[in-house]
Amino acid sequence: MALLLCAAAWTGAAWPGRATAAAPGRPAAASPEGKPAGTPAWRAEFDDVCGRTQDAMAIPSDELKRLVARADALLPAVERLEPTQRKVFLRRLQACRNLFQFVLDTREGA
Amino acid sequence: MVGPSRRMGGRLARRPRGTIMTRRLGALCALAVLAGIAADARGEGGAGKRRRPLPPEYGRVLLGEAGQGRMAPVAFDHWLHRARYTCRLCHVDIGFAMKAGATGIKPADNEAGYFCGACHDGKRTVDGRRIFEACGAGGERQACQRCHAVGLPVKPGTDFAAFARGLPRGRFGNGIDWEKAELDGQLKLVDELEGISIKRQSLTAQKDFALSPKLAGMPEIIFSHAKHTVWSGCEGCHPDIFVGVKRGATRYTMVEIFEGKYCGACHTSVAFPTLDCQRCHTRLVK
Repeated sequence: MALLLCAAAWTGAAWPGRATAAAPGRPAAASPEGKPAGTPAWRAEFDDVCGRTQDAMAIPSDELKRLVARADALLPAVERLEPTQRKVFLRRLQACRNLFQFVLDTREGA
Repeated sequence: MVGPSRRMGGRLARRPRGTIMTRRLGALCALAVLAGIAADARGEGGAGKRRRPLPPEYGRVLLGEAGQGRMAPVAFDHWLHRARYTCRLCHVDIGFAMKAGATGIKPADNEAGYFCGACHDGKRTVDGRRIFEACGAGGERQACQRCHAVGLPVKPGTDFAAFARGLPRGRFGNGIDWEKAELDGQLKLVDELEGISIKRQSLTAQKDFALSPKLAGMPEIIFSHAKHTVWSGCEGCHPDIFVGVKRGATRYTMVEIFEGKYCGACHTSVAFPTLDCQRCHTRLVK
């Protein structure tokens, strides 16, 4: 699954469950979540994944595992960004990925 | 585990509880002062002996280094920014690291609309005033000195005393009770920045819980998730600051807190300081 998402990020192929997507840095023609046209595919996916941190405690464990995998799959796309964006989004991606993992670990340790 | 006061038999037990609590809190505060002195002796946070910062200075972070031909360092005042924005907005969405200098902000970053440039773009407004533009790679030195002003005769744009007037008073730190100011609606915190933040649903705060101090007889700490998530969200603390996944699994001491770890990551530098013992140790042990 992670490999599939990673390949999707690289090639611009559709994310699972998404209508359209474009390669990193390339504008998406349209966004299924109502993102403005021109939002790069990686950013749409980033927003989709990291926009879930507010309700992380209420997300079922299976869904959390999928979110962690999607965050991991985003990493190569974020690492290819120009230095400033890379600095910002690596930190943000790490924070949200680690929060999901933290919630998972909390449940497993409870 | 039985603490020293209980082992001493009924002599202390016959004293009024309030007296014991006061003594415990007094001991804790004395420990706080001693830990502060010890940190000073080790030269943490700067060379030589540190004095306690004045209210406008509390939470001030120095960014950059002085040097021949270099821009003057920036004295970033947390109070000026936390009066309008949540910690989460800057430390999660905008991506500022929690340690001074760890972000590595460059003029090009500001020019591209990140870090300081996320707000300081010369276009956004606050209270009807345009937020001045952060200096970029080709910026004029005079414009840059709006922030790069340490050691320069630059008058701050906002006067702290005028700002603090009318806000609820706090005993330490900035001398402002930020929590009350937010609860009373005197501060309207912005938690999203268009083009930077992700539109998200509002946060459901987790339950409050009690933490028992190791020292017998010390009032318990009632940790309020609600109070903290207003400012910091979830990612602000978990898992970078509090790595333990099970309550009680991460054991830490007041000394570590005084050194800036755990609660001390914020409560020694920006949030009310650890000198204010009763703000956390609130529940009397029955």
